[in-house]
Amino acid sequence: MSLVGRDKTSSMGPLPRQAWLLVLHDLRQELREREIVSTTVFFTLVVLVMFGLSFASLGTALHPLIAPGLLWLCVMFVGSMTLTRIFDREREADTLRALLVAPVERLAIYLAKATVTLLVLLACMALLVPGLVVLFPGASALATNPSTTIALVVLGCLGYVAVGTLFAAGLATGSGKHVLLAVVLYPVTSPVLLFALVATRALLEHHPRVMTYLGQMAAVDVLLLVLGAWLFEPVLVGVGRARVP
Amino acid sequence: MNAVLPLELRRVTHWFGSHRVLRDVDLHVESGEIVALMGANGAGKTTLINVVLGLISPQRGERCLAGAPAGELSRVHRAAIGWVAHSPQLYPRLDARENLELFVRLRAAAGARSAPIDEVLVRMGLTHEHDQPVATFSRGMLQRLALARALCSVPELLVLDEPFTALDREGRQQLSRILNDERTRGAGILLATHDAEVASMLADRVLRLHGGSIVAQVSRSELTGTHDEGFRARVMELWTN
Repeated sequence: MSLVGRDKTSSMGPLPRQAWLLVLHDLRQELREREIVSTTVFFTLVVLVMFGLSFASLGTALHPLIAPGLLWLCVMFVGSMTLTRIFDREREADTLRALLVAPVERLAIYLAKATVTLLVLLACMALLVPGLVVLFPGASALATNPSTTIALVVLGCLGYVAVGTLFAAGLATGSGKHVLLAVVLYPVTSPVLLFALVATRALLEHHPRVMTYLGQMAAVDVLLLVLGAWLFEPVLVGVGRARVP
Repeated sequence: MNAVLPLELRRVTHWFGSHRVLRDVDLHVESGEIVALMGANGAGKTTLINVVLGLISPQRGERCLAGAPAGELSRVHRAAIGWVAHSPQLYPRLDARENLELFVRLRAAAGARSAPIDEVLVRMGLTHEHDQPVATFSRGMLQRLALARALCSVPELLVLDEPFTALDREGRQQLSRILNDERTRGAGILLATHDAEVASMLADRVLRLHGGSIVAQVSRSELTGTHDEGFRARVMELWTN
């Protein structure tokens, strides 16, 4: 399929157009390779089955305690796998530097990588959440409050990718440092995921402050996105600006 | 009006940690000239190119584009630069046309015009391979496609890092022709190489970089009236000393 002649973005400004083109580009590569989706979906199903076998027989009263941990643990690992692979693709052929030399907004690269990671996470959550509801009846509030569940999952994943994309990009620009991603990513994304964990438990326990938690998560997401967007360029191209000895 | 030329680096110095990789480097590239940067591995050629491209901001010294200091390279600056790196920097799962289209469309989104892809493919002799996945390309074809991407931007400044590597005799002749055409068009060309033959054949000026410093240079115009062989001999002398 040719990109030329399918430009539906000409009414947008340069930043959203470039971000959109890069999202399509990453999705096209993924469609040909199916590496990220197959790995992460398979991982999600394995986690679901293993946790189901281990904990489903526990009383339904315990399910609201188990399900949130399972949900956000899965987000953490799937997110890490996706971010590693997305930036490894650019590293392997050194194409990230080609993008940096081209007249491409750095922010467009950030938005595109974050969007693709978010899409992969949401695809996995589309399997995981119904699976949780089936295996853990005590977590049925996820099904009975679909709009709240969707908002919760989207906000939690968004916060994760806002921070994760920044660090994955920083490590992708150095050579041989991508193995550090998981080491760095888990601690820095933990606060966001803990926030999401508390909100999920509140949803499952029908806590009246669920909507307040969601509002707070949205505020944290905005903050993290602004921070990620602001720091992305220095992280990506600021390597050479080391201190003069 | 030019966006990046003349390119001028003034007393550029850069460290990686405590290791000084560039030391008081002065560099000047005008429209319609080819400047060859020669040096052994580790001489600082790639770092200097990264400074030119804006991938590194020098810790000391100044980078001037089109007569004005340029701390960072703007989108307008980058739109006027074509780059061929030592590695081809192409997406292996896309075909040749898709690789070019991605960058042409990204340029279009930034308001920068590009040459028609078909024309560039013809010019680089890649018309028959345009729908082949890049992963199946030979090293020489990758190099030609990387150059095609640079030419799509109709660059004011063309920066090439060891572009003759992996090219066969025909490919080298074709690349030489293209570089001469680009010079005639008015592009400024910065060419990093450790091939003295290439430098003497194409360049208007040859600089030798050693230990991060420009230690010698020779200009074709200094030798007005002498035969090309005189320039070649000077370049060889520069390289071997």
